[in-house]
Amino acid sequence: MLGLILITGRPDLCAQSLITARQIGLAAYGAEVRDSRGFSLNPAGLILMRDWDFTATTYGSPTLGRDGFVFHGLTFGKRFLENEAAAFQYSPGTSMRFVVPPTINIDPPNNPTSNDREIEYAEPFSIGVAHRFDEHFSVGLGARFRRETLTETTYEIIVGDTATFPSVSVEEVRATGWNVDASVLWRPSDLFSLGLTGRNLLTLAAGDTPDELSAYRLPKSAIGEISLATRATRTLLLAASAGTDQAGAVGGEWTPGYGIAIRGGLYFNAKESPTAYATGLGVGWSYEFLELGVAYLHFFDQTNRRGSSPAGEFDPSGIRNIDLNPYTSDRVTLTVKAIFGNIRERVALIESVAMLGSVYPSAYEVFAYRPIGTARVRNISSEPIHAKAAFYVDQYMDEPTESGPVTIQPGESVEIPLTAVFNERIRKVSTLTIKEGNVTINASPADPEDDRYQTPVLIQGRNAWDGDVLTLRYFVTPDDPDVIRYSRDVLLNHRDTLIQADRSLESFQKARILFDDLAEKLMYVNDPKQSADYVQYPTETLRLRGGDCDDLSVCFVSLLSSIGISTAFVDVVPPERPEESHIYLLFDTGVDPKFGSHVSPNPKRYVLRKNRRDIETVWIPVETTVVARGFEEAWTRGAQEYFDDVEIGLGTIKGWVRIVDIN
Amino acid sequence: MRFSVVVLLVAMTSMALGGDITVKRLQGDVRVRHGVTEHWSAVAVGDVLRPNDSVKTGKGGSTVLELIREDSGTARAVTLPPEVIVDVSDMRTLTQEELMLKLTMEKVRSSSYQWKNDELRMPDAAVVHGQGSGSEEELNENDRATGRLQLNGARVLYENGFYSTCILRAMEVFRHYPWMAESFSDRLMVAEALAECDLRGEALAEYGAISRMEGLGEEERMLVRERMDAMK
Repeated sequence: MLGLILITGRPDLCAQSLITARQIGLAAYGAEVRDSRGFSLNPAGLILMRDWDFTATTYGSPTLGRDGFVFHGLTFGKRFLENEAAAFQYSPGTSMRFVVPPTINIDPPNNPTSNDREIEYAEPFSIGVAHRFDEHFSVGLGARFRRETLTETTYEIIVGDTATFPSVSVEEVRATGWNVDASVLWRPSDLFSLGLTGRNLLTLAAGDTPDELSAYRLPKSAIGEISLATRATRTLLLAASAGTDQAGAVGGEWTPGYGIAIRGGLYFNAKESPTAYATGLGVGWSYEFLELGVAYLHFFDQTNRRGSSPAGEFDPSGIRNIDLNPYTSDRVTLTVKAIFGNIRERVALIESVAMLGSVYPSAYEVFAYRPIGTARVRNISSEPIHAKAAFYVDQYMDEPTESGPVTIQPGESVEIPLTAVFNERIRKVSTLTIKEGNVTINASPADPEDDRYQTPVLIQGRNAWDGDVLTLRYFVTPDDPDVIRYSRDVLLNHRDTLIQADRSLESFQKARILFDDLAEKLMYVNDPKQSADYVQYPTETLRLRGGDCDDLSVCFVSLLSSIGISTAFVDVVPPERPEESHIYLLFDTGVDPKFGSHVSPNPKRYVLRKNRRDIETVWIPVETTVVARGFEEAWTRGAQEYFDDVEIGLGTIKGWVRIVDIN
Repeated sequence: MRFSVVVLLVAMTSMALGGDITVKRLQGDVRVRHGVTEHWSAVAVGDVLRPNDSVKTGKGGSTVLELIREDSGTARAVTLPPEVIVDVSDMRTLTQEELMLKLTMEKVRSSSYQWKNDELRMPDAAVVHGQGSGSEEELNENDRATGRLQLNGARVLYENGFYSTCILRAMEVFRHYPWMAESFSDRLMVAEALAECDLRGEALAEYGAISRMEGLGEEERMLVRERMDAMK
């Protein structure tokens, strides 16, 4: 018998659980579930929620010829700790109601009767939970409460003896139960995700199914679905899905920026059409914690999709999914999503931290400019970020030192140099110490940090030296009150000598006096550790009355600097005999080269070089290891070494002699 | 092809003389100054000079030194005429690369340059301000005669083919005795030595500087122009 089946929704004609505009627009959504929206497609995606999550959806069906929008449903999601999440969906709009044409029976001897049969399928509640095993892999479990109701209304004309009157009787039978789904989500990188969902894996029925309803039960067979999503470019997402029910979809999302997303997708079902049978188009816009979406779902063949269907006996076997089935009509869907609680989304991740060496307290200032280490930071968001790294060592830094902003493209990782402004307390570290260095990364202006990393920091003792002559100058302390006092006292004691000296040779004479005074008080002794990595500060050398060549050079340089005489270290590392590496010094007499003969008639005893005012002057080499023999011998030895190393050996141009200016 | 020619030239100029230097003949006033000492002492035939020694000949004095090549062991004689000062270490040939580096370092041997390449600068030390304590008497410039002897020594280097050390020695003398940099013949020697070292750009720059010197006669200017044209 041919008849007409009316397909109705509640309160309108039709409804599916297409409960989010993004889902409709993208079409293939399984691998892109990342919050409570449409979580039943892949509950494992719930783990990607930020914190509290709320979604409301409404829709309209323009092809049904009815104006206005109806409420579809609400979802709530919450992420617990780092690795668990749960969601609940209330979707009164996820229901379908089929009205089978009345059956009229007028055959005598019965009274005329008409039977209206109405079948309703609904999934008003869904729940889902997810657990993340690691940052790449998560699993989810979902359950949809399904209700199937058969309502039979019998209209009967009762012909009595005295009167004829209509009679209406309503009989309703119902079957309820939970359909359980399970899913996994694998995201090996931010550029790719794979989802697997098993639907109807388990059915938990509440009681027996009434016999009258048996013919109208929806299929309970399990369906498997695989879904893929990949970020083809920085702004383009592509997605595809296919199921064992021969349904599938492809779609894409373009995010040009400013929070805008443009989506489009095609729906396939081999049972319906060899080509796409529907398309979804959508636009989304997000700002801070709010996201709006609108999508239009259009079916190319409108048969059975306008609220009625010429059909024979009603056969529900084709309805494998209340979400999307042969009776679903065109629709416009509006979705609002809001995030509450901790709405900060981590956009940057510290992959690793590398320290470039230990910290030498003597040269602690350099780390304000020179990196102490690097942090490899990855942009795990879909937008370019401007990330700043901060480094902090408790006790030895007053506050974290922040790097300049570094732009990182989505999915990329960049090494950000870490600098550190230490405080004076670090100079009091006497022996090798290990401290915890805290590295934080901040890519969101309003938030304190996106990620945190701890790394051990080796802090050497205050007298430790890395052997680099460039850092030896950080032991030079011309502004130390003890150093200033010492040099002033010595010069004051030789005031008469200085008054008689030519003013042009004043610096030369002062240096000679200071050195000769040291010669009476200091002696050369080997490094206490028999190595080149221990250097005394000038006050220590003066107090201990001795030191090795590094200590004595540092001490004499500090004294000269304290009275305004420029100095330089000469670092010699003989290529054939590196074990004989050595340091002596040069100081600037300030004498013009054309008066050089007043310093010495032998030009080999001095060096012509420019000072920091770019004026060429006469510099004197001094070998401090012979401090006990006085200035004259130290000068002779220094000059001889310089001539041999630099003029004959060509050490400066061959790179094994370095001259490092101190001030 | 051009590359191979340059390599050949470098190879040719890198034959250094680093062996013993012996005094073979003496005439008149010839003295030696050892190392960084300040006094000149007598020298005798057969003395072996060290690389850090200097030799000075007085008026009418001259000497013949024998240089033994370190690489081949062959001997070579260098005659020092009267009134020259020559550093023994200058009687060698630097490679073109060594010479270029030396010349470049002369230009960058500046503290300010080094500070530009440094991240952190030490605080300026305390400086004694106010009236200086020393006398205000003007110093006398370096003895000009000594400068002349040294520049004569540079010419001996040039004439014996030690072009690279001739250049460096002459430039150092100019720094000690700025007035000598006004000498046309000495500047021309430096330019020609640069050309001999195949440092064409440097030689042209030196010829250009000479041509801008004041007080040049027409013949001198023409000579410089010819040399420059020959290099182009």
